[in-house]
Amino acid sequence: MSAPKQMPSAEDATESWRLLLHQAAVEVMTTMVGVAPTVPEQIESEPSEQVTGMVGLAGALCGLLSIHCSPKVATEIASRMLGLGEEEAAQHWVDAVGEICNMVAGAFKAKIPGLDDQCMLSVPTVITGDSYATQSLIVGNRTAVHLLFQGEPFVVILETNG
Amino acid sequence: MPQIRALIVDDSSVMRKIVERCLRQAGLDLSDVQQASNGVEALAILNQSDFDLILSDINMPLMDGLEFVKTIRTLEKAKDIPVVMITTEGGEQHVLEALSLGAKGYIRKPFTPEQVKEHVIPVLRS
Repeated sequence: MSAPKQMPSAEDATESWRLLLHQAAVEVMTTMVGVAPTVPEQIESEPSEQVTGMVGLAGALCGLLSIHCSPKVATEIASRMLGLGEEEAAQHWVDAVGEICNMVAGAFKAKIPGLDDQCMLSVPTVITGDSYATQSLIVGNRTAVHLLFQGEPFVVILETNG
Repeated sequence: MPQIRALIVDDSSVMRKIVERCLRQAGLDLSDVQQASNGVEALAILNQSDFDLILSDINMPLMDGLEFVKTIRTLEKAKDIPVVMITTEGGEQHVLEALSLGAKGYIRKPFTPEQVKEHVIPVLRS
């Protein structure tokens, strides 16, 4: 196994990683869901905490990648991924959001030279509910990509240590 | 191509359904498709049924895909079944490790139905 490559500093990484994170999210959503998310003209607020998918990263890059959306968006994603009606898709949206999160994390790390083999992903976790907040203990860089999926917020956040 | 019995191993039920749909879209005549959510479950199914093709994720709880491939290569009943990995872990070292353990193909998520076809059909023909 080769030595891990030097990760860029948090400040250097922010803008380039935001772009790569955006590309990864668009790539995954376009390929697996069949809809390319768009960029909102204005970011109104942080995502509402109703559905949160999370995947941990460990190794040369340690942190957490999370996806935030509404149950409506999650159901639409599951519906399109599986080719099912809304009612049937509602049984699968937790799984669908977890898998989309997993694939965005995988696509993101594949875009950074040397990182693919040096950074492992955890099995995804999905939190759902009406009133909760996630608080990461990661101290470091936070990169957020605000997107719209069929007009509804779809936010990808990468928090990394160091 | 003859009828194919396939085992799909992934901890995501959504991905298992998508992989099955991709196999059908690839034109495979699937006579039996069974699903497992990790390597342990898959080994139990392999004890009960015969398969012509296995598609397996890597990152799974209980037993991951690499350990699963390594284990089935030691089983007389299953050692010759071609395995194609379908995973988010697409680094060169992961690919080489999977191939060295006996995987016959490697598909990176996200994937299109065409990519599944491109990787699976040659494996079944070889």
